[in-house]
Amino acid sequence: MKDNKRANIIQPDIPKKVLLLGSGGLSIGQAGEFDYSGTQAVKALLEEGCEVLIVNPNIATVQTNPIEGVKVFLYPVEPHWVEKVLEQEKPDAIVAGFGGQTALNCLLALEDQGVLKKYNIENLGTTTETLRLTEDRDLFARTMEKIGIPIPPSRACTDLETALKAGDEIGYPVIARAAYALGGLGSGFADNAKELETLVTTALVDSPQVLVEKSLKGWKEVEYEIMRDSFENSITICNMENFDPLGIHTGDSIVVCPSQSLSDDEYQILRNASLKMVDHLKIVGECNAQFALDPHSNNYYVIEVNARLSRSSALASKASGYPIAYIAAKVILGYSLLDLKNPVTGITYSFFEPALDYITVKIPRWDLTKFRGASRKLGSTMKSVGEVMAIGRTFPESLQKAVRMVTEDALGISSKPVLASAGDLEEPTDTRLFSVLEALRSGLTIDDIHKKTAIDKWFLHHLARIAKCEKELEDLGAGRHLSEVWRSIDADTWRRWKTLGMSDQQIASAASGGNIEGAKLEKLELTVRAARLAVGVKPVVKKIDTTAGEYPSPSNYLYMTYGGKFDDPLDSQIYMRSAMILGSGAYRIGTSVEFDWCAVTCSETMRERGWRSIIINCNPETVSTDYNNSDRLYFEELSMERILDIYQFENCGGVVTSMGGQLPNKLALGLASAGVRLLGHSAETIDMAEDRNKFSAMLDSIGIDQPRWVSATTKEDIEKFIEEVGFPVLVRPSFVLSGAAMAVATDEKSLKGCLTLADKVNKDHPVVISEFLMGAAEIELDGVARGGKILTAIVSEHIENAGVHSGDATMVVPAQNLYVETVRRVRKAGRLIAEKLGLNGPFNMQFLAKSNHIKVIECNARAARSFPFVSKVVGFNLARLSTQVMLGERPDLERLGEDDLNFVGVKAPMFSFKRLLGADPVLGVEMASTGEVGCIGTRFQDALLLAFEASGIKKPKKGILISIGSDVDRAKFLSVLPGLFDMGIPLYATHGTAKFFAKQGFDMHVLSRPEEDSEHPDVITHLRAGQSDFVINISRDLGRKDSSFGGDLRQSAIRFGASLITNVEKAIAFVESMAQSETFVDTHELLELPKFLGARHNSIDSDRAPLR
Amino acid sequence: MSSETGAAVLRLSNGREHRGRLIGANSYRSGEMVFSTGMVGYSEAITDPSYFGQILVFSYPLIGNYGIPSWGSRGIEALEPGQQPDLPRGFESGLAHAAAVVLTTDSDEVFHWNSYQNLDRWLFDHGVPGIIGVDTRDLIHSIRSTPQLLGKIIPDEVAELREKADKTAFFDPGHNEIVSRVSVDTPRRFGRGKKRVAVVDCGVKWNILRQLLDAEIEIELVPFNHDLSSVDCDGWLFSNGPGNPENTSGLIDRVGALLGQDRPILGICLGHQILALAAGAKVRRMTYGHRGHNQPVYQVGTKRGYITSQNHGYVVEEESLPNGWEPWFRNANDETNEGIRHTSKPFRSVQFHPEAAGGPRDTNWVMHEFVKEIFETR
Repeated sequence: MKDNKRANIIQPDIPKKVLLLGSGGLSIGQAGEFDYSGTQAVKALLEEGCEVLIVNPNIATVQTNPIEGVKVFLYPVEPHWVEKVLEQEKPDAIVAGFGGQTALNCLLALEDQGVLKKYNIENLGTTTETLRLTEDRDLFARTMEKIGIPIPPSRACTDLETALKAGDEIGYPVIARAAYALGGLGSGFADNAKELETLVTTALVDSPQVLVEKSLKGWKEVEYEIMRDSFENSITICNMENFDPLGIHTGDSIVVCPSQSLSDDEYQILRNASLKMVDHLKIVGECNAQFALDPHSNNYYVIEVNARLSRSSALASKASGYPIAYIAAKVILGYSLLDLKNPVTGITYSFFEPALDYITVKIPRWDLTKFRGASRKLGSTMKSVGEVMAIGRTFPESLQKAVRMVTEDALGISSKPVLASAGDLEEPTDTRLFSVLEALRSGLTIDDIHKKTAIDKWFLHHLARIAKCEKELEDLGAGRHLSEVWRSIDADTWRRWKTLGMSDQQIASAASGGNIEGAKLEKLELTVRAARLAVGVKPVVKKIDTTAGEYPSPSNYLYMTYGGKFDDPLDSQIYMRSAMILGSGAYRIGTSVEFDWCAVTCSETMRERGWRSIIINCNPETVSTDYNNSDRLYFEELSMERILDIYQFENCGGVVTSMGGQLPNKLALGLASAGVRLLGHSAETIDMAEDRNKFSAMLDSIGIDQPRWVSATTKEDIEKFIEEVGFPVLVRPSFVLSGAAMAVATDEKSLKGCLTLADKVNKDHPVVISEFLMGAAEIELDGVARGGKILTAIVSEHIENAGVHSGDATMVVPAQNLYVETVRRVRKAGRLIAEKLGLNGPFNMQFLAKSNHIKVIECNARAARSFPFVSKVVGFNLARLSTQVMLGERPDLERLGEDDLNFVGVKAPMFSFKRLLGADPVLGVEMASTGEVGCIGTRFQDALLLAFEASGIKKPKKGILISIGSDVDRAKFLSVLPGLFDMGIPLYATHGTAKFFAKQGFDMHVLSRPEEDSEHPDVITHLRAGQSDFVINISRDLGRKDSSFGGDLRQSAIRFGASLITNVEKAIAFVESMAQSETFVDTHELLELPKFLGARHNSIDSDRAPLR
Repeated sequence: MSSETGAAVLRLSNGREHRGRLIGANSYRSGEMVFSTGMVGYSEAITDPSYFGQILVFSYPLIGNYGIPSWGSRGIEALEPGQQPDLPRGFESGLAHAAAVVLTTDSDEVFHWNSYQNLDRWLFDHGVPGIIGVDTRDLIHSIRSTPQLLGKIIPDEVAELREKADKTAFFDPGHNEIVSRVSVDTPRRFGRGKKRVAVVDCGVKWNILRQLLDAEIEIELVPFNHDLSSVDCDGWLFSNGPGNPENTSGLIDRVGALLGQDRPILGICLGHQILALAAGAKVRRMTYGHRGHNQPVYQVGTKRGYITSQNHGYVVEEESLPNGWEPWFRNANDETNEGIRHTSKPFRSVQFHPEAAGGPRDTNWVMHEFVKEIFETR
């Protein structure tokens, strides 16, 4: 009877060697969340003594850090490459659940090809059988029917005819969904047969199967995150409710956690259904279930089940505090949830359901204005590139925090009516939230808005409270001197405003009737702050501990709120020194996982050097917001107000603003003037690097050349400048309402086009016009300086000539085509600039070079996008060195020589145009890539082919279509044509291109433009038929929309699944590499990413140094 | 948020005070401070008779979001012979039993399809005061660190209530017999079925009754102080209820007398403690109880765990179980007993709420097994 307490802990047989599949480069629908999940999985596996192999070409991630016990293979997550790794490394097991749809598809392909069996590899976690079942919508539907879980009426279709029949049977509106697709790609709503036809035709290009099902527009969308172990124990970690009703992809929805408008009955009905499903499916590990819930009854349908870690599980992990990926990794090794400690409390177990005592709000980050022509309408295909999560103790508080986190310059949900766009209450766009507030402001009732949007009235009611508060402030400030207003406010009123999530700036702006902006508002913010603090109103610090305070927890996961009166008791460990690191905020075009890598590295280095690291970040997809990557984590706004709150609360030794990209960098000057100590570069350095005039004057003073430029406020200024330098010029308006900000003008006409984009050109909103160099090479110098002296710097080269944004360029280390003299001049200029700016930390400089003449484009006094790539390729961690400098250490090292490397590294951009139909997939001066990959090879060509394959550019198999606009580019391309012909693949070209090449003796199949009445087949039909799977399209114009034809051609290439290259140098490099590499995969010898040098030492005097 | 209401004070037996605003009834209440970490299910909790004599603190800061369903119930008290009770979902008894509630915020406007009124109004109608604007997370830290913390809710704007509060001692449900306050006073029979279960009402939750009725079992609901030897039934259910199981006016002995028979027995919560005491085991008061919807238990001798809904401040000391009884469930966090069963007879009891409402329904099977046994008996 009296058995031993707790049945014996089961110690599973741990596989010795495990291969973990990553998710590749970040793209829409598959982003940073898989660095979070993969990194936690690696930690869990290492703890169990496994040797870990990683296949993931995403060089900028934390999971691809070549740490002790981990072998990193920067290869495409494709079966043929993974098989090579399996063959060489012979692991015992493979794990695919942490690498998104990419890893999952790869696993299933490996199984189909018999590879897993051949090498006797065990698949850990949910079986492939179940994975296939959840991926096959028809099979899934039948299974759900069997166990009595309701599913929306639907039909699986493999051709258009059956799809149209299904539409008629079910009744419109219907939704079409593609099977085996990430992020809802190829999904959409159809109101009639014609719309359905368009949808299904597109979807069937990528997917063998399309599901046509009943539309549940207006229903509530609710998700549950579930974990199940191999002992049949399952828990739901939390649920989440979408602010936006069903109809908008959950990745594009505003989401609250936990659900707010569900009763206990509804909560439990859906929870029960979740558990029933995972039990029947025999899930082992993590699983996500999405439901539609009738807003007028308890009726529900299950929409889908994802038997793997997902974006939602990353969000759930951050929202609940439960380290989902870490525990999931232990569970798939065979541990029971009952035996695993909850690492957040340290005393309770992982078998429980987190109790939250706060509300989190996630808002997606869209960058739709960055994609020329992209529709801003939201629907069932995901379009957002990132997200933020805010934590508070009221819905308005969390919501307004989230709005500020996700939208630079937004003071809160109010005060920026300019963001709202008309008509999007019924047809949601990325600005609908603002439109709802604008509608409330203009007098629409909650019922009116509910009718138009179907958003639950509970949410709308809270938005109305915010609008009311805004009005109250406006009335309060009307006709009065503001400083007098602040003095009259009592503590309760301040607190009421603050629990509604009003920021100090927002309060100031509302009270001024929205008339104060910019620097004046920033000054006013500090007055508001002082008045508020004078009556003792400040936020309190609360912990996220997974148990709502039921158990004491040493958790360091914190947030600030006005929904409480007392700070939580925090750890009392004494640190001599502590410093704050500002993270990157939401991932967006230009800021991505690479800055999270920088922040994580910075925190690691600080802790290793005995400093207490305090991270502030608000992006749930990151590793930096994991519970164990810092000594204290504030999941908070990266705003002046909140940073000051934390700085003062923590009594910090300083703040690092240079490791999180442009967002924290922009805060540096304001923080410094508010008395915050900056670590690393001084405020003066940052100012001189950022301020165009100061930077320019500095360059002049040391005799370094730069492209000529002018900040024009009148038409005459512009004309005069162009007379001087001639076309083309780069135009950069400082005030743009919508659309891409930067553009190249090649003549008067295109200049006019660029300027109409700018709303107005005047004294307050000048336009910067600079000389644009044709045919120049672009070079970057990434490094670390101390006291104005460069400690180390690495030269890299773009494959594309200047004119392609550096974030979209293909980058090579070491440089392949530069003169030694050019490199010498770049290095010399770098040294001079570093000295003159007094650089004291990480930096990135960009140069143009033409026949050994160099010009400086810019210097970023911060870590750059290229830091992880450069660091991993040269084997020396620049972010770590930067941190040492910022902490005041004097690292002693010799100059690194990247030209001594045993291999070449190539970084390639990753685009997501497939999800942005309507957007023109052309490279230009505005960045458009959503991610990047980096691969290494013993030859440049190997690294390039790997990187291109990893970024989705596939080797042509069926046909190559060439359409080159200008004779110059055609002539350049001639050199690689023989190689292309040797490949034996049919070559097609548009009229002009074909004619040009024919004259040179290269005959290609001619294709016509669709509108041309020609005997030749038209190019769009050709692409639709899939006759060419590779398209090289070089437009005549630089970046500006050349013609509707070029755009149509490029979009068709994307839509019909062809690889597309739009830059001539990139095309040449690819063709050259391809031509030399026929048996590439078979003969390739795998390269493992070498370990960092000096990772545990103060300097890099390691004996393993392959470097000088 | 009820901005019209006056100030209120929550005074604790450790000397601390929390200030906030009053919602619900304008009356003074005292009781044991307990907290629930459930994020939904507030109307179920407040009407759960087990919370009698307790001031219920909700850790979730937003309570009342989906309002309160329509009441309109005959309940059980007013049941005429032959009538069937109406037990509307969302409520676990016909009264709001918690002494008072403590919240961070409530929701004054409600929009849920099944909502009839807001929490404030409903509490007012049922004579229960509440205080909002309290830092409940901080309060929970106090409850956690002070064994058996007691409290008083004092409407601050009524002088006589302030005086009453000053003069009255803290009410400790642990030192009072309170089951009589929540039990029916005369037996009731309802439901239709071939089998009959006698439910000993120590403050039974409606979902226990609902589940028996759904299984087509007739219920004989008897008061806790009823003579059990005279009851004609196919099985016994000892219900949940408030307070100290040893303050139940001889119920333990009456249950003890039943252990000689062979009809199935299921004890739930307080009923579990009573069964254990009747069998000869010991029960002790916990430093702070288990309350909420996320309590993990595991079945002893297996690797099988369940998430349960719980609300108890006393626990069976497993070491004191006599021969013939074995532990059935344990809490996965602190290893305290969560269920016992007889080694040969169909007697078993659980500390958690297999009937749920509110909270997870993972252990509904305990109810189902009991029902199955009832049908298999004789």
